[in-house]
Amino acid sequence: MKSTGDDLESLVQSAKSGNEQSMTELITTHKALVFTIALRMTNDYEVSQDLTQETFVKMCRNINKVKNADHFKPWICAIARNVVRDHFRKAKKERNVPFEQIKEYHGYSNIEMTRRHIIIQDGLAKLAEKDRMLLTLTYYQGLNPVEVAKVMKMTEGNVRVCMHRARKRLRKHLTGYEHELLSTS
Amino acid sequence: MNSCPQADRIINYCLDQLTEEEKRDFLLHVDSCATCQHELALEKAIENELAQEFDPGFIENKIRVRLQLWRAQDMRSFWLYAFRMVVCGITAAIAGFILIPLLLDFLLGTAPKLGQYAHAIGELVSGLAPGNEFYIVLGISFIAIFAVSVYSLVQIRR
Repeated sequence: MKSTGDDLESLVQSAKSGNEQSMTELITTHKALVFTIALRMTNDYEVSQDLTQETFVKMCRNINKVKNADHFKPWICAIARNVVRDHFRKAKKERNVPFEQIKEYHGYSNIEMTRRHIIIQDGLAKLAEKDRMLLTLTYYQGLNPVEVAKVMKMTEGNVRVCMHRARKRLRKHLTGYEHELLSTS
Repeated sequence: MNSCPQADRIINYCLDQLTEEEKRDFLLHVDSCATCQHELALEKAIENELAQEFDPGFIENKIRVRLQLWRAQDMRSFWLYAFRMVVCGITAAIAGFILIPLLLDFLLGTAPKLGQYAHAIGELVSGLAPGNEFYIVLGISFIAIFAVSVYSLVQIRR
């Protein structure tokens, strides 16, 4: 379910005035976006669910900071990014386990995934956090470079250059899986 | 990986970073280059996979519960914070009345006593308003403390 600009504007304004129903609707329309970002970044279904909830709690607490509906999507993506980063920071501090091991720990058992998805996730996991985020924001929900720049606190030109590099790196990590990626299953 | 000299343009094309003319040239090249066709198909498959959406399921209720929990904790921490502020304020005031005379005594050799403070303020106020200066000083102090506390609490709450 995607909300149009006017719908989103009225939802945001209504949520800002404290309307619980509007807040729930905002969550419903954006939960897949936040969850996808979290899952792409963490590779863990349950942790991603938790981080999604945390992101929306922060959204509800700070909804008054949104100036208008145009800013909403980049704003919520930025919150999701910060929540994920905090999670990694805490995980590193508490357990001192590298990302790859955390991924192995929780595995892919919680979500039904195609082989192609697993290959891509594996390739993404080998990228730096910034590259992973850039690719997720650009391809999922198709944020434009201006919006991505807002989320990542980068310039638009820098986003374009980094995107190019991230794509190249991802492609490099996927070497050897070409046949599987092109198969229809 | 693609060994074709035009291979670098594939990602530029996918990211829509080519001009119309470059795009036309690139597509003409792709028509005649099997390796670039393969690489382009691969990049499109990666893009499609990256564009996939995942559904977290019904999490709205869990978020609502977390919010209620946060609000409850927020209220508790609000009162704790207010209490801490009051304690800090009283401690600071007491410390100020003791430390400032000590400091003045150390620096100037003469420190006004607590009674002298009150007397000086009282004299100042009695010049402005007739009556018992002690109550006037006390009243003004209470109003000031009350106003500052209310303002601080409103700011914290916000």
